Amino acid sequence: MENQSNLSRRAFLKKASATSAGAVVIAAAPMSVNAAKQEVRYAMVIDTRRCSGCQACSIACKTEFEVPIGAVRSWVEHHEAGAYPATERRMLPRLCNHCSKPPCIEVCPKNAEGATYKREEDGIVVVDESKCTGCAKCIEACPYDARFMNPFKGDPVKTAGNGSVDKCDFCLHRVSKGVEPSCVNTCPGKARIFGDLNDPTSAVAKLVAEFDTTVLLRGEKTKPSVMYIGADWLEAKKDKKAAQFSRLDSHRNERSAHRFA
Amino acid sequence: MFDRRKFLKIGAVATTAAVAGGVSLNAKAAKDLPIRGNKDFSPTTGKERKAIPSACWQCVTRCSNMGYVEDGRLVKIEPNINSIRTGGTLCSKGQGAVNHTYDPDRILHPMRRVGARGEGKWKRISWDEALTEVAARMKKNRDAGTPEKVVYHYGRAKASHSKTVGGFFKAFGTGSIGNHTSICEGGKWSAQELTWGGHFDNWDFDNTKFVLNFGSNFLETHTNHIPVAHRMLKAMADRGVEMVTFDVRLSNTAAKSREWIAPKVGTDAAIILAMTNVVMKEGLYKGAGEEMLKYTRVSEDVNADVATKIKAIKAHVAGYTPAWAEKLSGVPASKITALAREFATKTPAVLVTYRGVVAHYNGNEGERAAKLLCAVTGQIDKPGCRMKAVGAGWKFPKIKSNAKRKLNIFDGFPGQAAYPTHHVSHQVLKMIKDGSAGRPDMYITYCYTPAYANGDVQENIDILKDEKLIPFYVSVDPFYGDSTMYADLILPDTPFTERWTAEDMVSPSQVAEFYIRQPFTKPMGEARDFSDVVFDLAKRLGVDMGAAKSHEDYVRMACEATPGVKEAGGFEYMKKVGVWHDKNAKPQGPVYKTPIPESVYKAKGVVLDKASGVYWKPASEADAKKGYVGTKKAFKKYVAQKMPHGVFSGFAPDAVNKSGYLELWSPLLKAKGFNPLPTWMAIPEHQKMAKDDLHLTTFKYATHSHSRTMNCKYLAEVYHTNPAWINPATAKERGIFDGDNIKVTSPTGEFVTKAQLTEAIMPGVVAVSHHCGHWAYGRYASDRRAPGEGSDSRGDRDYKMKWWDDNGVHPNWAIPNSADPINGQQRWMDTVVKVTRV
Repeated sequence: MENQSNLSRRAFLKKASATSAGAVVIAAAPMSVNAAKQEVRYAMVIDTRRCSGCQACSIACKTEFEVPIGAVRSWVEHHEAGAYPATERRMLPRLCNHCSKPPCIEVCPKNAEGATYKREEDGIVVVDESKCTGCAKCIEACPYDARFMNPFKGDPVKTAGNGSVDKCDFCLHRVSKGVEPSCVNTCPGKARIFGDLNDPTSAVAKLVAEFDTTVLLRGEKTKPSVMYIGADWLEAKKDKKAAQFSRLDSHRNERSAHRFA
Repeated sequence: MFDRRKFLKIGAVATTAAVAGGVSLNAKAAKDLPIRGNKDFSPTTGKERKAIPSACWQCVTRCSNMGYVEDGRLVKIEPNINSIRTGGTLCSKGQGAVNHTYDPDRILHPMRRVGARGEGKWKRISWDEALTEVAARMKKNRDAGTPEKVVYHYGRAKASHSKTVGGFFKAFGTGSIGNHTSICEGGKWSAQELTWGGHFDNWDFDNTKFVLNFGSNFLETHTNHIPVAHRMLKAMADRGVEMVTFDVRLSNTAAKSREWIAPKVGTDAAIILAMTNVVMKEGLYKGAGEEMLKYTRVSEDVNADVATKIKAIKAHVAGYTPAWAEKLSGVPASKITALAREFATKTPAVLVTYRGVVAHYNGNEGERAAKLLCAVTGQIDKPGCRMKAVGAGWKFPKIKSNAKRKLNIFDGFPGQAAYPTHHVSHQVLKMIKDGSAGRPDMYITYCYTPAYANGDVQENIDILKDEKLIPFYVSVDPFYGDSTMYADLILPDTPFTERWTAEDMVSPSQVAEFYIRQPFTKPMGEARDFSDVVFDLAKRLGVDMGAAKSHEDYVRMACEATPGVKEAGGFEYMKKVGVWHDKNAKPQGPVYKTPIPESVYKAKGVVLDKASGVYWKPASEADAKKGYVGTKKAFKKYVAQKMPHGVFSGFAPDAVNKSGYLELWSPLLKAKGFNPLPTWMAIPEHQKMAKDDLHLTTFKYATHSHSRTMNCKYLAEVYHTNPAWINPATAKERGIFDGDNIKVTSPTGEFVTKAQLTEAIMPGVVAVSHHCGHWAYGRYASDRRAPGEGSDSRGDRDYKMKWWDDNGVHPNWAIPNSADPINGQQRWMDTVVKVTRV
């Protein structure tokens, strides 16, 4: 009848607490390949305890960039698992991970010209739509499905009218002027926290120091700059019986939809 | 879902915007982010966008927001970070409202029907022509002495909109003004008015230690959604506050709770009564409960002492044992007992109740039972508990009412509801059809879609189409829609993004926040805010609207007249900042304990009504003789409440003649043949269910309101279709597999939808959300375009990329219009259906 949810056990995930046993702990500091050069290392901590899956971030992003129907830069997945009445639903806000080793950049034929690159000054992975040819190799290479074709962007000649690749850029146009990203700004639960991981006094650095955090696809060695609090279930051993009832809802396309289920 | 190849192909033909290149890519990294918000820049040019503080209207919560304008175009809506209500946050609906302004199916000119009703043939006419006709019809009724045959029916009209538009119709002389609250939460409000006086409750999550939630999905959607949701999420993460949620379905709110408990549909009241039984049996009322009972009425005797009251409650709930409730609800008695103890001891705790409790036949009693449980545990109107709410008290300019006549079509059929203080709006069309209380000559709807919003859709359409029943139907709406299509005249309203309002919604911090809505952009086309149009109509009809000349004028005058706002800088300040609250104000605490001095209750004209213990000021000797409870609108003359330990402000009445006690023994209900104490009432339809019958319940998803958001393309993209949730065990019995088409049939009607097999719903129930299944609400909601001017794309580049064909179904085809016998609330959750594989 009732479901003693894991969420309560996850209410406090501080590193010092005993409840962290079994959670995947990652080190925050040595993730950047060019940390020496990098003065600022932008990162987002997503505290899933504070996320109710309301999609405010998804729509904030959509409107900030007028993202075409059919594509998203940021989205929320709802992961349902467990047999009634022990059913659970977990929320997983998603966006580009701004990897320290971005596989998307490696495969870009125009990366030497700067069609897509990781900014040295702050680690944001960007696409220069004036240089992108729209070949979509990076879309295939991204294990997080964070990139998409934007038919309304790009050089019509270079892209043969297909448009440029597009993706989350941590709201560079805002953060470069000292304003929080739009998804962070609107979040009712303040589940998204953004800042400079290299600055030990920043909110993100403090959270990473205080809590066990999880990243998506740790095995891929992409070393994401997006870290999750309270999402250790992603890497926990799958309960076969529970998995039988799992269901994932997301308005994102299906390729990504099942990756983390 | 989204097909990349299709996308590429569309991209090939799409024109491409100029390449912006490096502007923002070369931006320097900022070392810190000192700015929380209220500032935005163009991602393509880097240019700062013009920020305009205003307020949302996507739902009745009406959060403060900030609109950003670029080259005269609204490009973005965000929270206003200075709002104490929202904590500077905004939900998806609020963000997506940017789509309203540029909805390609907006109506931009007045339109007159030329074909048959509902045929969709229209002629564009001028505002002058439209208003000349409306005014002529109104004048004819006024001259004939039948102004009440002009019926104004709104869906959402609040604060200054309510004052100006409602004020106009009353000043004209009609009292025939309807609302929509009975399909919303009217039952909850009436039950609160019967008990503690005041329709609204605030849940003080900032100070609570435990939350027991019956049937509210407030983390996704609620009448005061963001203000309470952001506080609860904070309380859970920062302070480890736990919540237990009762719901037949695993809502996101249930998913965020420590426990999700699914009771049998409509049995919440039984569980709450059984919890009260545990509290009384185990003496958990001692201390805070006893103190609260001093201010509570639980028997006829208004001079009873606490010990007598305890005895009376014990006797009343003796039969409501956890074992009894287990039989009805399926929730184990041990669980009910444990949660009753937890609620009574982990104090202060909040008891949340909403539509899962009140949208039933026994909803009024469920809400009254909740008040009883709160009373015996001492958790009423106290920090950390459910408190009486605080809203902004604007000083609005007066518009004098001349409404002496009205059609009695707003409170249901005679005997249908005993105290429908928020009306029985879902019966208005049925009553017009019946005709015994009269019919309108002109029916005007504002921000309201009666065909879609109410139950029994087919009957609604049949009535709206019938010119004998409704000779002239005027729809005031920014968009073409499921009801607008049956109108004779469409007056193009502005979406809220182009309006003025002085706003007043409840503040969860218990400190009132004053805020305004101002236009982000000029009205598009010939659209006009109806709150301005009424000033124009008033001029044509010689109706006195007081000192204001327009709605903006009205808002300005309110800002200049309201203490606090005025000193802060009045209208100019509000235009610049958007919000104001008194920084020195202390959060409003308990309101019932204030001792009233003798000089007040023994003042001239004040008498004591012995039966109720109410000090009041009867208007005449005759009224004094009739007594407080029996005198019409006596509650308006309430002064104070006599209790054995003194005379107090009490739980002052505001809608019915209740005493100043927390009135759980109600002479008003007794007079109408109901049990005066909160009582279990079995739901008639549920007593005769066949073995293969299922319950049909409805719910809301976070990105949508009930009926007015599916035209917003970004919101529709996230959620546009609504398969029926069904437990795999229930599906198996019917040979239904995931994704199968199923038919849901009730005595009222039927609909076909897809089955979504999920473990997130209890067996025996099928749940279908509202929001979907529009038949004429523009291209994103229904793949139907608005007629006339609305048929071009107006620069909308996205519709050709709409990747979903399934716009979902509307459950209201199968849900009857029925009413809680006490308060008239629409019984959304009582429908019994058969579900078969198609």
